[in-house]
Amino acid sequence: NYDPRRVCLNPFPEISLGKHRRTVGVYLAGALFALANWTFLDAAVLSAHARSPWGQPDTPPPVHVTFVDWIPGICSLLGYMVIALIDKDRVCGDEGFGDSRAVWRARLILFIGFALMAGGLAGSVTVLILKYILNGYPEQFTYYGYANVSQNVALMLSAIVLWIAQSGSSEYEYNLTL
Amino acid sequence: MAAGLRTVILLSFVLAVGFLMIILSCALWHNWLPLLVALTFIIAPLPNAIFAHCGSDEYGETSGPVDLGRFLTSIIVVSGFALPIILAHSEVIDPKACVMSIIGGGLVYGTILAYSAAFSQEDSEYE
Repeated sequence: NYDPRRVCLNPFPEISLGKHRRTVGVYLAGALFALANWTFLDAAVLSAHARSPWGQPDTPPPVHVTFVDWIPGICSLLGYMVIALIDKDRVCGDEGFGDSRAVWRARLILFIGFALMAGGLAGSVTVLILKYILNGYPEQFTYYGYANVSQNVALMLSAIVLWIAQSGSSEYEYNLTL
Repeated sequence: MAAGLRTVILLSFVLAVGFLMIILSCALWHNWLPLLVALTFIIAPLPNAIFAHCGSDEYGETSGPVDLGRFLTSIIVVSGFALPIILAHSEVIDPKACVMSIIGGGLVYGTILAYSAAFSQEDSEYE
């Protein structure tokens, strides 16, 4: 089914894990999602119970996790919701059913979702560099920034795993062809 | 009755040991936050149980609600393991209490999984 108008024939690789591909993928995506958010919450809880820097018991901790650190994660979560809610069959460009405006709209919304996720990732790197690394805090406190970046990376991985698990040929078609 | 009375007794012992570990991890250090782990693992099988009857039609096709149930289950299970680690990391609870509550939670959730696998009735009735 070659169509010369399409730029990407297959945007994501087809990975066949057999019959339980969808189940395993969904579980894995959920685990990554929880892991991402707990990584950042770990930094937040650690900051709430922060002690003074090592070796200087009198000075208070120089930096805390504030609302600025939460913004990239919130952007990523919004993007995650948009990507998870979109209809996978619409985006893939099967214009046989429905109107082509629906495909266009679905692609636009998908673009917004991925832009939100990428913006969250970029924002977390920005916070890491501007708030923690440039100010030269000890390693105990730059951990907050690294946790933020890993939260957004894991959220993006989770979205990709969920997409791969839910798209592609389903077992229903497989049963029909047999 | 392949899985019989002995399995029930064994599983109930394992469940009791799991709860004992969690409650000991709370009571020995006078900090009752690890009890949240027990609550988390008890509600872990609920999403799959609720959404299992929503989606599957006679073709065996998995649909959106079933996926949502699996997603939520995975989130809750990972949260149950992550919560004591985080509390121990910020020194709210003792590291030994963290290890004990993780082992206890794993025993409780393993019991629930093993019970539902051993006594599931839907598969055997129609064969």
